[in-house]
Amino acid sequence: MNHTVALLDLRVRLRPVIGYALGLGVYAFAIVALYPSFKNDTSLDQLAQSSSTLMAAFGVNGSLTSPAGWLNANLFNNFVPLILIVLTVGYGSWCVAGQDENGILSLTATLPTTRGRIILDKSFALAAQAFPAVLVTYLCVLVGRGFDLQVSGGALVGTSVAMLLLAVDFGALALLLGALTGSRGLALSVSSAAAAAAYLISSLAPAISWLHPFRFASPFYWALGNDPLQNGLPIGSALALGATAVALLVAAAIALRRLDLH
Amino acid sequence: MSAPIEVLALTKAFGRNRGIDDVSFTVQRGEVFGFLGPNGAGKSTTIRLILGLYHPTAGHVRVQGRDPTSDPVAVHRAVGYLPGELALFPRMTGRQHLDWLARGRGTTDLTLRDELVERFDAELDRPVRTLSKGNRQKIGLILAFFHRPDVLVLDEPTSGLDPLLQDEFDHLLRETVASGRTVFLSSHELDEVQRAADRVAIIKDGRLVLVDTVEALRNSAPRTVEFQFDHPVHASDFAGLIGVEVISNRDGRTRLALTGPVGPLLRVAAGLEPVDMTARPADLDELFLRYYRPDAASAPKGDPR
Repeated sequence: MNHTVALLDLRVRLRPVIGYALGLGVYAFAIVALYPSFKNDTSLDQLAQSSSTLMAAFGVNGSLTSPAGWLNANLFNNFVPLILIVLTVGYGSWCVAGQDENGILSLTATLPTTRGRIILDKSFALAAQAFPAVLVTYLCVLVGRGFDLQVSGGALVGTSVAMLLLAVDFGALALLLGALTGSRGLALSVSSAAAAAAYLISSLAPAISWLHPFRFASPFYWALGNDPLQNGLPIGSALALGATAVALLVAAAIALRRLDLH
Repeated sequence: MSAPIEVLALTKAFGRNRGIDDVSFTVQRGEVFGFLGPNGAGKSTTIRLILGLYHPTAGHVRVQGRDPTSDPVAVHRAVGYLPGELALFPRMTGRQHLDWLARGRGTTDLTLRDELVERFDAELDRPVRTLSKGNRQKIGLILAFFHRPDVLVLDEPTSGLDPLLQDEFDHLLRETVASGRTVFLSSHELDEVQRAADRVAIIKDGRLVLVDTVEALRNSAPRTVEFQFDHPVHASDFAGLIGVEVISNRDGRTRLALTGPVGPLLRVAAGLEPVDMTARPADLDELFLRYYRPDAASAPKGDPR
């Protein structure tokens, strides 16, 4: 089998994968290059402190002008996960349900292989698609050292891993919903809504007390709640994110075995 | 050795009036088995069950003795499949599809692929979205055949092909079964099945209404016999003849549908002093239309043409 299924999907998805990586790279570079103009702007920090709930809704916690605070507020707490999740949820909902609706999944489903193996391949393709965009963002932030943006290398790797796992989690959710229902629209909309809800829970939890206990339900909290760019990614958080992906993909394999394909 | 395809009491329910109900047949090794029925009768549903794409509600399917849902690896290795509504990746070329499938199946011998490309004059190097339906269908056929599967399952294989290529396709079917392999093909066109198939099953509204050899069908299909008399005769003159039905009787012209031997009819007719007689050979169309019509049980009245 040698990953034929994964290679086919990756080939078909090559354009969006390159497009998202380039787009994210350009944006990340712009944020990095703008840092010297803002790093001494104390009014920004006052703004952030004066309306912390509103700022929290946009993923801003704490200082805006420290290197980590700047990158969190402009990249890792909002834009990067958003773009990555759009990419992975797009693939997750297309790769089973979307392909089945097009009738094109029958090419794959009639290969001499099991449905579990098909999900394994598509899981691999899912992670592989998010990887270039994460890597490009990582490299752009490394370049930031030339723009006075000093962040710890290990913490940056941890943050990048958190981004990747977070995106894979929601892609896996979309894949599972597609394998359960065969409906691309449902998989896309429900997993997008779940991502939006998870984002809000995690970002508002520090500011809204009644939300606080629910933060553990959000993969965003596991990925970002501990401020990995400042403190590194706790191994427990990485495991929680990874275990979520594995559980969703195993469930998807079971669901696909039961699904009627066209 | 197990039969290439065995379908037993197969039922697939999708809610009201859809799916198939209690379908049974066995496809023998080395035959072309035609699966005939109007659109929406359940042909594609049956085919998806044979491939294990659908799970049966009741009954079972065996392909070479194996269950396609629990043992898809062995079943899919043995089967070449052409879907009824062939979907390909629009930006990819035919060659890329074929290369991909060859990898996925571990097929290294590509001589049959090259031969088929030549025979069908297939365009392999343009993105499939730029190809006509017929040209895409050729790629679908090559995808089904090139890895030399033991069993071919083809859903409406000649849709979109021009007559010349249909001819080439018929040759390919003959060669395939001559080498001991098996073809299951569905069609809503009688001509195709009549030309290519050894045996035929007819499905209507999800139920199998007939399984027989094309040869036997032809023998049982009604021939039309027409007598011309210079005096009026009565339809009742022909009553009591087995396998004879009076279709029309006007102005001394009597048209009859004959399904039995012709001798007894000729003896009766001779006594009535006809002045002329014509006979048309067996007409399978007429037979199939009987099954296709909404009220399948009743024989057609009058001339269907």
